[in-house]
Amino acid sequence: MLLRPRREDHLVIGKYTGKIVIGIGFLMVVPLLTSIAFGEWDTVVDFVISISLCMAFGYGTQAVCRTDRDLGWSHGLVVASSSWLVATAIGAMPHWLSGHMGSYLDAMFDVMSGYTTTGLYLMQDLDHIAHGLNMWRHLLTFAGGQGIVVIALTFLFKGAAGAYTVYVGEGKDERLLPNVVQTARAIWLVSLVWLAIGAAALAIAGLALGQDPVRAVLHGLWVYMGAWSTGGFAPQSYNTLYYHSLAYELIAIVVMIAGSFNFALHWAVWTGNRREIRRNVETVSFAITLTLLVLIATFALAKAGVYSDAMVLFRKVFYQLASGHTTTGFSTIYSRAFVTQWGPIGMLATTIAMAIGASACSTAGGIKGIRVGVIAKAFLQDIRKWVSPEHALITERYHHIRDITLSDGLVRSAMTITIAYVLLYALMTLAGVLYGYDFADAVFEGVSAASNTGLSCGVTSPSMPEGLKALYIFAMWLGRLEFMSVFVLGGYAVSLVRGRR
Amino acid sequence: MTVPVSRPWSVGLALTLGILMALVPGHAFASDATGDFEPSSSELVESPEEFDGDTIIFTGEVIGEMMTRGDMAWLHLNDDAYRDRNVEEGAPLGGYNSGMAVWIPLESTKGELTFGDHEHEGDVVRISGTFNAACPEHGGDMDIHASSLEVVTPGHRVDDPVSPVKVVWAIVLSMIALVAFLADRLRARVEDTMGV
Repeated sequence: MLLRPRREDHLVIGKYTGKIVIGIGFLMVVPLLTSIAFGEWDTVVDFVISISLCMAFGYGTQAVCRTDRDLGWSHGLVVASSSWLVATAIGAMPHWLSGHMGSYLDAMFDVMSGYTTTGLYLMQDLDHIAHGLNMWRHLLTFAGGQGIVVIALTFLFKGAAGAYTVYVGEGKDERLLPNVVQTARAIWLVSLVWLAIGAAALAIAGLALGQDPVRAVLHGLWVYMGAWSTGGFAPQSYNTLYYHSLAYELIAIVVMIAGSFNFALHWAVWTGNRREIRRNVETVSFAITLTLLVLIATFALAKAGVYSDAMVLFRKVFYQLASGHTTTGFSTIYSRAFVTQWGPIGMLATTIAMAIGASACSTAGGIKGIRVGVIAKAFLQDIRKWVSPEHALITERYHHIRDITLSDGLVRSAMTITIAYVLLYALMTLAGVLYGYDFADAVFEGVSAASNTGLSCGVTSPSMPEGLKALYIFAMWLGRLEFMSVFVLGGYAVSLVRGRR
Repeated sequence: MTVPVSRPWSVGLALTLGILMALVPGHAFASDATGDFEPSSSELVESPEEFDGDTIIFTGEVIGEMMTRGDMAWLHLNDDAYRDRNVEEGAPLGGYNSGMAVWIPLESTKGELTFGDHEHEGDVVRISGTFNAACPEHGGDMDIHASSLEVVTPGHRVDDPVSPVKVVWAIVLSMIALVAFLADRLRARVEDTMGV
């Protein structure tokens, strides 16, 4: 039975959604300062307008929705899902004002793609955009990777007891530390240390490649943000093909794989438990599936004779597959080359990699390694039961920070989310086919959007049907938040109309 | 050897066949007076095997920067809708950027080039070189190994003037944001005073 929300429920949801939008406004100060530094005055005005909108909405909502009530479980989930929508609608303003977007829907597509660390984009003439706007593109994907709620938790939620539900609602459920605000800060600490190392390494590589110091630093920072957040945005339309550098690719691979690891794993290593990298079910699962898929794609491309040299073949395959599996979306081939050079098997291997994705509670999307690991263990356990004596007690364990005994509840939970992802992938594929795209292209692009990867085979473009753009926005949002909070938001909306008083 | 005298109908047939053959796609791409093909980047990406190893001519705006590697350099040439005028200058939206990476001897670039970015429309240059669908020398990248470069249209600085309408909106919205902030603070203070 659905209960109609009371006034207090609306107030608490409005109050915390307002706080998150204020956080987005503060985030826009960084691109504003960037534009001021480079004298991009038209872009400066764009950001003043956008920041003012965020502040007007955020403080206005807070002023109207004053309450001392703390967040309940469902409030937190509704805040998480609705704040992503509001943040997308308002965060799209700088994109739209820049004149590089075909419509406001296109601008929202790019911003949702950024927050959800997907990396698909509809921005036109990317190679001529302002530094400030490029900073905003990469910053919002970096912020989205941490979780925009995590940002708000860090700076704006002063110890709200119910804050944990908002954090969970954003698709993260690991408590690195007993307090959720401390956990959010720990996530920032890990990311900022990686930022210092990763961005510096990429900037040095850029300098060595012949970039001038300012561009080397900016590209280093932006490519780091795209890699760590597993977002896949890059400052030039050529993506990482632009650099033509093995060193640049290797640094990007290290950062994107690190970014795709569970923050709990990072924290375990941070606190001295280095063995966790080898033992964790997610890293083991990732290593196995990546190896298998690289082998399949390498075999197919070797047979097709696309690349004449074995090392060249391995370099291309490993980079695109690692990018797909970590759901980053960086590429060193043209989008259409997936179709014109890689062919069906290469595309299939990449699609499977994107569909699986990387670790839970990371910046990555997709089904996630822990669920694949749990389902694989359950499958093996059932086979062992079949071949063992009737009364034998067969137990299965997996390691994630600690040893965990496999239970039916865990398997059921992993299967539920996995089925939800598979259904979402199928729905996006069906939509693509109904809009007239080839089946292989529709699967590839639909999975890429729903798993928040961002690799494209050419379906995503400013001229694609508006309906498909809207569906991909929905898929990116649903895939990133892992369904639960979006379903609760749906329930909240239904209860407004049909709930009992 | 005697040359057969053509009949009028056979001349007409030959002409018709000639016109049809010119229209039928074989290498259905433009070629210049020297016979070198001048495909677009889209055509190269869509049919890489067809052009692999061919000497082609490619024209586009140089964007980003030149990345030098010893005596050679990487350039990126965009042949998209913004080749001659970009969005910041008021060009209509015409889809994504598209172009090709070009590997060229440093000496062929002759002095300063203007590179396309937010503040510049880059030089439009024409290069001639060999197209590689998957260059074994450069990690399998799709590229053109060029031997010559000619500036077709010099680049220029781009002004991006501030729109007065936007300034008005910025002032109005800033005021609204300030009012919302003050309303929020005021209400919080009143509640604190009243002990709510």
